[in-house]
Amino acid sequence: MTRAIEVKDLHKYFGENEVLKGIDFFVDERQVVCVIGPSGSGKSTLLRCVNRLEEPTSGTIIVDGVDICDPEIDLDKVRSRIGMVFQSFNLFPHLNVLDNLTIAQRKVKGRSKDEAVEVARRNLEKVGLAEREDAYPAHLSGGQQQRVAIARALSMDPDMMLFDEPTSALDPELVGDVLAVMRNLASEGMTMMVVTHEMGFAREVGDKLVFMDGGVIVEEGDPHEVLGNPQHKRTQSFLSKVL
Amino acid sequence: MKRSTKRKIRLGVLYAVLAALVLGIVLSANWADIKTSFLNTDTMKALWPDIVLEAAKNTVLYTVIAFAGGLSLALVLALMKMSTVTPYRWLAVGYIEFFRGLPALIVIIAFGLAVPLAFSYNFPFGFVGAGVAALIVVSAAYMAETLRAGIQAVPKGQVEAARSLGMSSGRTTVSIVLPQAFRIVIPPLTNEIVLLIKDTALLAAIGVAEGQRELTTYARDMMNLHSDATPLLMAAVFYLIITLPMTRLVAALERRQQRAR
Repeated sequence: MTRAIEVKDLHKYFGENEVLKGIDFFVDERQVVCVIGPSGSGKSTLLRCVNRLEEPTSGTIIVDGVDICDPEIDLDKVRSRIGMVFQSFNLFPHLNVLDNLTIAQRKVKGRSKDEAVEVARRNLEKVGLAEREDAYPAHLSGGQQQRVAIARALSMDPDMMLFDEPTSALDPELVGDVLAVMRNLASEGMTMMVVTHEMGFAREVGDKLVFMDGGVIVEEGDPHEVLGNPQHKRTQSFLSKVL
Repeated sequence: MKRSTKRKIRLGVLYAVLAALVLGIVLSANWADIKTSFLNTDTMKALWPDIVLEAAKNTVLYTVIAFAGGLSLALVLALMKMSTVTPYRWLAVGYIEFFRGLPALIVIIAFGLAVPLAFSYNFPFGFVGAGVAALIVVSAAYMAETLRAGIQAVPKGQVEAARSLGMSSGRTTVSIVLPQAFRIVIPPLTNEIVLLIKDTALLAAIGVAEGQRELTTYARDMMNLHSDATPLLMAAVFYLIITLPMTRLVAALERRQQRAR
């Protein structure tokens, strides 16, 4: 198996505060890796380092064989191949759904308008929102906005997708639609790194589960093993609270 | 006493005070003199149609030029103030603090008289050119702060989303941040136009040539010519005709924005 993401001895400080204390971590191609842990454990920071939305303090991050901390690389190009989905959706409110999906295709990938629209429509279809292409984000529910955000990331034809707590800002009844889209993506073989609190999703869809606490990886392995029979005390105490 | 009776008495007193005030002003005014000095129909006729074709037209024209120029310069200053290059930030801060701290009148006089003397440079279109240039320079300092606030009010997640899609920093600013920032600052910028309309009156201080006069200069010249104050009142009416729709527009925009949140 080829490594899609490989993180070695990653440290990250916010001022004096060390939030990542030497992380070693990898995601293989076509794998779905879920990262769980209490808030402040550093799981979102780890995910955001993978496309350098956060600047690592030290360590190596290799994405698709490219060292993304190398100052010589074209970071924008690397990012265009890593899809990212945020907790708060971050759709562009001044653009309608179709323009949200086409703007980066056209400005970054240099696609023609027709081509970009075609790709966008295909991805809207995939997330079940083909009929909402003229709507503005403010007129969509949270679940619909997050599905549009996923379609926007997919429209760049990414090699992998990063999900930063994609369902945490949603009303409970809207979570299912978003998870269904993510499940679908996983079954198509998309490489995915998912920071989440959805233990059910992690168990059923994940190939690997990582539990983080206090800036370190405490335990990792097969999701059924980690969730069913956690070895570490901190994992046990966290899971007893959330399950 | 019943509570409703008390309330009626209180309201009655408030209305009585108001009525007394209005009555006092009306009675103490010298209506005969007001009519000859401020509402002289002969003077009104003499001013028509120049007060519209020259004065009001120029007021609007100078405002539009000063606003367009000021906004462009303000955008540069706002981006400089947020630049990662420290000298750019200092320059922007220095400029903004300097011109916000000076009366516009002094800047106008400086541009009209001091700059031509000190740099042997003459502004195109004479004093008017110098005065409008001064308005551009002063309004840019105010609008730069407004724009900066608008740009910083765009949520950080918007930039992160754009960057994660592979957009460069410049592309993100142009396509994602600025369009949203401009929406946020439309009400305060409209307010800035209203202030500019009134600030064009300061051009009267350096004196502009016939044909280039705006409302205040024109009114002053006509007051001297006809020896009565009717032109001043007419100019005031025209200022209101121009500014009132603008201030109403600001109020409507602010209401709309509040609903959108």
